[in-house]
Order: sequence, then C-alpha cells, then structure tokens
Amino acid sequence: MILEVTINGKRYRAEEGETILSVAIREKIEIPHLCYEASLDPYGACRLCMVEAVRRGRSEMTTACTLRAAEGLEIVTDTPQIVKHRKILFELYLAEAPRSEVIKRMAARYGVTKTRFFKRVDPADPLGNRCVLCGLCVRACNEIMGAGAINFINRGPYTVVNTPYFEPSADCLGCGACVNVCPTAAIDMEDIGGERVMRSWSGTRVPLAECESCGKHYAPKALAESIIARLETPLREETAKICPECRGKWIAREEILAKRGGGIEHAR
Amino acid sequence: MKIRTAADLEAKKQAGLRKLQPGKPRIAVGLATCGKAVGGAKVYERLHEIIGTDNPEIDLSLVGCIGYCCEEPLVNITLPGKPLVILQKVTADDAEEIVRAVEEGGVPEGKALCRIPSWDHVTGCTLTYGEGFERNIPAYRDVPFFSHQKKVVLRNAGLINPEDIDEYIAVGGYAAAQKALTGMTPDAIIEEVERSGLRGRGGAGFPTGLKWRITRDAKTDKKYIICNADEGDPGAYMNRNEMESDPHMLIEGMIIGAYAMGAAEGLIYIRAEYPLAIRRLGIAIGQAREYGLLGEEVFGTGFSFDIGIATGAGAFVCGESTALVASIEGRAGRPRPRPPRLTDIGGGLFGYPTDLNNVETWCNVPVIISNGSGWYARIGAKGNSGTKVFSLVGKVDRVGLVEVPLGTSLNTIVFEVGNGGAGGKKVKAVQTGGPSGGCIPVRLFDTPVDYESLNRVGSIMGSGGLVVMDEDTDMVDIARYFINFATTESCGKCVPCREGLKHTLLLLNKILAKKATRKDLDTLADLSETIAATSLCGLGQTAPNPVLTTLAYFREEYDALVGR
Repeated sequence: MILEVTINGKRYRAEEGETILSVAIREKIEIPHLCYEASLDPYGACRLCMVEAVRRGRSEMTTACTLRAAEGLEIVTDTPQIVKHRKILFELYLAEAPRSEVIKRMAARYGVTKTRFFKRVDPADPLGNRCVLCGLCVRACNEIMGAGAINFINRGPYTVVNTPYFEPSADCLGCGACVNVCPTAAIDMEDIGGERVMRSWSGTRVPLAECESCGKHYAPKALAESIIARLETPLREETAKICPECRGKWIAREEILAKRGGGIEHAR
Repeated sequence: MKIRTAADLEAKKQAGLRKLQPGKPRIAVGLATCGKAVGGAKVYERLHEIIGTDNPEIDLSLVGCIGYCCEEPLVNITLPGKPLVILQKVTADDAEEIVRAVEEGGVPEGKALCRIPSWDHVTGCTLTYGEGFERNIPAYRDVPFFSHQKKVVLRNAGLINPEDIDEYIAVGGYAAAQKALTGMTPDAIIEEVERSGLRGRGGAGFPTGLKWRITRDAKTDKKYIICNADEGDPGAYMNRNEMESDPHMLIEGMIIGAYAMGAAEGLIYIRAEYPLAIRRLGIAIGQAREYGLLGEEVFGTGFSFDIGIATGAGAFVCGESTALVASIEGRAGRPRPRPPRLTDIGGGLFGYPTDLNNVETWCNVPVIISNGSGWYARIGAKGNSGTKVFSLVGKVDRVGLVEVPLGTSLNTIVFEVGNGGAGGKKVKAVQTGGPSGGCIPVRLFDTPVDYESLNRVGSIMGSGGLVVMDEDTDMVDIARYFINFATTESCGKCVPCREGLKHTLLLLNKILAKKATRKDLDTLADLSETIAATSLCGLGQTAPNPVLTTLAYFREEYDALVGR
C-alpha cells in the first residue's frame, strides 16, 4: 500500500511499513546515519538519524531507521533540539574515531570540527582509530554471509570488533562484505600474492583461487568453489577454474568457433 | 500426592499448621542471604548440634527474613500458647542460653526484639500464637521499624520455612491459585488485576492487567510468561528476599498469570549472583510439581503449566526486556529498538508473545485474587495502589527491607522507619531507583513515594532501592559512583550510552581531581541531556539522572570543586 508522509513540510509517497530513513534516502533528504544498511533489519545504534515525529498532535524524538511510515505521519529532520544533540553525538564520534575522514566530513556539515572530549588514539588499533562500532561488519558477516568470523568482544566502552580470541579466523570467507558495508573505511584488507590478508581481523589469511588460464588471483578459493557448487546451471568443467574475465573470453571464442563450423562441440 | 480438590489443599494446610505450631517449642533461624551474611548459618549449626534432628522436645527450623536486616541474625521462638518471640543479633555463643531458656518454658528476654501474639497472613489466615512476655518484650506493632509498615508482599517473610511448601499452604498459600483455576475465567482474573490498579514493580509502573490483556489477546498457539528476577541496582535486594523468604508466593502468582494469559510455559530469569534464591526456587518448583501445582492438569483442571529457571551471566543490562529475552535465547544481552514489544507476535521469547513481569509484581497477584481488587485498591494512593517493598540502605540508622503503602512520604520512610542518619548524622539526600534514579535532597522529603511524584523531582521509582546519604557524603563522588556503574554495565551498542557515559565519567574524575573548569560543568550538563534524550534503551536514557539531579540540587558541591 502506498501512503503519504510529510517530511520537513513536503509530502512524499512511501510504502506502508517502509522506514522513514529509507524514504529520506530515496528522496535525497539528508539525515545523517552510520549503522543503516537496506539489506539488514533496523538496528538503531548510531542515534544520528533521530528526527522529530508528530502523530496526533504529539511529538517525540525517535530514530528514522526504526520509524515506519504511516498515513499522516509528520517528520521534522532538523529541529534546534535535534541539531543540538546531533552536534554532541558528532563530538563523541570525533573522540571515538579521530582518524576517520568520513566522520570529520559528516561532523563538519553540522559545524563540528573539534571535540571537547578526550580523543582516543591507539597506534596499535587494528581498525586504525576509524571504527565507530556501528556493527554493520558484524551483521553482514553473521546475518548476510552466515560466516560468523567476527563479532563484538567485551561490552560498554571496552567493546571492540574482531575475531574470537583475536586469533586468525578459520571461518572468514574473505568475502569482503565487512569492508563493503563499513561506513568509515576502517577495515584493512589487502590481496598479497595468493592470499587475501584481513589485517584488521587478527591477520586472518584466506587463500585465493588462481586462474588456470591467466594465473591471476581472482577470488577467495573456498568462497568461489562454494558459489560454483551452488549454481543452478553448473559451469562447464573448462570454465570452472578460470577467472570471470578469462571465462568470458573462453565463451566468446567458443561461440565464434562454433559459428565457423569448427572447434569443440557444444553439447556432450 | 497431587492436590486436586479443596479437601486435598485443606489436608496440606493442616499438615503445614502442625509444622508452624507443633505443640512443642519451635526455634527457627532467619536464613536469607542477609541473615547468613552476619552469621545466621553458624547460629543454626550450633543450635543443631545442641538440639539434634527429630528432637521430641524442640523443633528446629529455618525461616526467611522479616526485613529488619540490621538486627540480624534473627531467631524466632514459638512456645505453645505464647507469642512468637523474635530474638535479635544472635550469635552461636547464645545458642546454649536459648535452648536452656526454651527448655525452662521461657525465652532469653534480654535478646528479644519483639513479640507477635498473632499474625495476619493476609491471604485468609491469621495465626494466633498466644499471650505472655508483655512486661519485658515490646509488641511487634510498637517497634518503630515495623509500626509504619504494611506487610502484604512480605506477609510471610521471616515467619515460614521457605523450603517447605506445607508451611506456605498453611498460611493460605495456593488457595488463590485454586480459586482462580477452578472458579474464575481468564477474563475475570484479568479484570480483577486491572481493577486492582497493580502497576509494574520493576520500576516503569506499566499497568499489569493491561499487559496481561495484550498478551492474552495475541493470537498464537504458544505464549510465554517470564519473571524478571535480574535485580541488580546497587543496594537493592527486595526481590532477592521475596524469593528467598517466600518463593511459593512467586510461583503461585505465575500460575494464576499463566492461566489468565493462556501460557503453558513460564520462566524465571534470575541473576546468577543469587545462588540461594536459585536454590530455594528450585526446591519450591520441585515441591509444587510433586503436589501437582505445576505440570499437567493443575488442580485437576485441563490447564497445564510449568516453570523453568534461566540464570543470567552477570550483565545488569539483561534486566531490560529485549536484552533479557536475547540472553535466554542464548544471544548476547544487547537491547534492540521497540516495537516489536515482547507482547507482539515476533517480539517475545523465540518470537512468541511474551509477558514479562518483575518478581514483586507476580508476588502481588495471589493476594489480589484471594482478597479481591477492591481490598487491594484501597491500599496506597490514587493511581498508585498497593504496597511497595524498599531496601532502605546506606547511611541510615535502621537498615532493612521496608514495605509501605505507595504514597508514603520519604520523611516517613527515612526518619520514622529508618530513624534518620546512622550515628546521629544529618541526612542530606536519598537516592531512589538505583543507578537510573536521582538523588533527592532532604528538603523534598515530603514527596510521596509514588511513580509520578518521584518523576517530578527528577528521579524514578525503580525497583525499590533507597540509598540514604548523610552530611559526610560527597554528592559529586556519589554521581561518579553511579556513572561508573552504568558505564561498565552499558552493553556498548549505542553511542550516547557507550561513549557518552565514558566521557561523563572522565569529566567527573576531572572535577573530583579539582582540575575542571566551569566550562567542563556546562559540558557535563549538555552531555547528560544528550545521553538521556538519544540513548537506545532505558539504561542509557536514565543513567545520567544521578548527574542531572546532583547538578540541580547540589550544584554548590560541584562549584566548590571547579576553578573560575
């Protein structure tokens, strides 16, 4: 069902049950956020997307990522009160992740360029003093990939994200979903030779598959094998162990040869 | 033997009465955790050495705690036809004197706290003990610590053996459950609870009957009820005593609730730091099963219900409803945004609609059913019916558990019941509601203790901790203590709580080290407001209260610590 909600005095169409943050992102209305990912359930941890919601004459501050669109709902994204709280939250973020350029840029949009709070700078931080513990990497790893290689460790101000016991993880697929969803580019991942090194995750190393055709390392080996094994239409044997690029070339060459009436037979 | 009929229950009642009034002297030692902590177990052991087991002349038993914790160890003596006499501050060395006096038909009057000629167990049973000792032992109702109290939830605490179901049945126990299951419809029970005006005793004060109705109306094949026994506020131990002194009262409340809401399974989520309460609940559940009060076809009806125990792992935040459910499910105890609420389909335990009530809320249920909502609603104040148990601790003269009607003033509790500051010191403030509450200055002590009035002065009811502070208490240090507690107990999920409380603590350390400026005080106030306004769950939303209230009421103590 399509309904209408009002955001900052303008009316917008929304699907029933859709979150206000989702509407805002689609309509390019700026609401800062760090822990939101469309493919995951609302989490409500970063508290930046707090907006004022007015319903039946009653207004309350709530997070846009957890607020569901409903007919007649009125939203104000930047009341003086919200801006005041958001500025303090940005000060907290600047102290927590002093090396994050993303946080600096987001805070600067609210005129916050300094923090009154003690900045934590740890030269040995595997996440480069850029992590804000939004939890997206943990949730992508557990809820989307089903790998469970990383999770929160400790609680309260001592919380960090890493592998169990800070040991290299045998469960890490090397898929890089964590790197992909991280809003502050905090996770250090690099392919070195035949291995993908997850430096942030206790130096976890994941072997990469080597293309039998061009010799390039193209994907984490176990991940590539498990995906190929799950395909509805299996790959042909000749293409199963080559990189996607070489596979494309191989198929194209086969097509051309077949049209010329020569080459390897298609059907077996 | 399973209890099926009223006659079965009556037979157990008579058996229980023979234990409480055995026709020979009975000595019972107060053995809740508070009594054990000051040597109660040693007193029991020594008495046991002297009296032995199955002594034809004297019975030795144990009871929970009547609440006068600062006078413990307490020992009850019942001589046939004489009042029940409570002895105070008993040591193992007193054991011989006690036994000798009892053998001679008396009590060591010098050690007596009070005498109880008869006791109203509220649920339709008044036990008459007898007359005597009027000259040298004050009556219970004349002891100032007791005279302002009204025992409803603690009606049996310290007077019956919590490890013996017969004694609970003797004083009217399980009669309410039988009345409910065999004579009332679920709707009638919920209406009765609604009319009683009972509100959640965990601190938020949500109407219990309404919560039950929402759970009952949820259309699913399965529902859960849970008892929140994750009591963890510093200085608060009401629930612990309720479970250690009268565990069957909780079980009976849950049976009635389960029948009203249509739940077949109940859980008690209890913190692992309460080993004695866990043990006594385990014993009580076992006895209730043996008597057919839990399990299949309770009271011979078609209703089946059982209770399990789930223990916590030391996290304060697991008292928050969504974190509590996560903890039971085997996940980390981190709150999630609501809705969905626990009572919603998809929101409760394993996704089933779940009713969660605090220990004391459940404990109020049997008496509402047995005495009626009208009786119950007349206790307390308008919109705040019933009693509340408080643990009166800190720098107060008489430390203990206090049960008073809601609406009783802080003055009455702290000065009449508690006798003011310990050692004659001047009382300065009282902290209500634990780390989530606020510090209320003595000039506001005419505030009635009810949910709304406490909110108005910047504090909360909370679960019932009352920590008294005197003239020597440094209020900034008190704020730091509670912020330190909240910081280490934050789950770490949302930023204002995790980071904000950490910086609040750093600021308070700086202020106490006399290195802060006026600007730091402004920062402290701003930060506290943001934490309260933007945190995800109740822990963060209320954690700044100790700072906000001390800033409001004791600003001069902060000012004295900062430079210009």
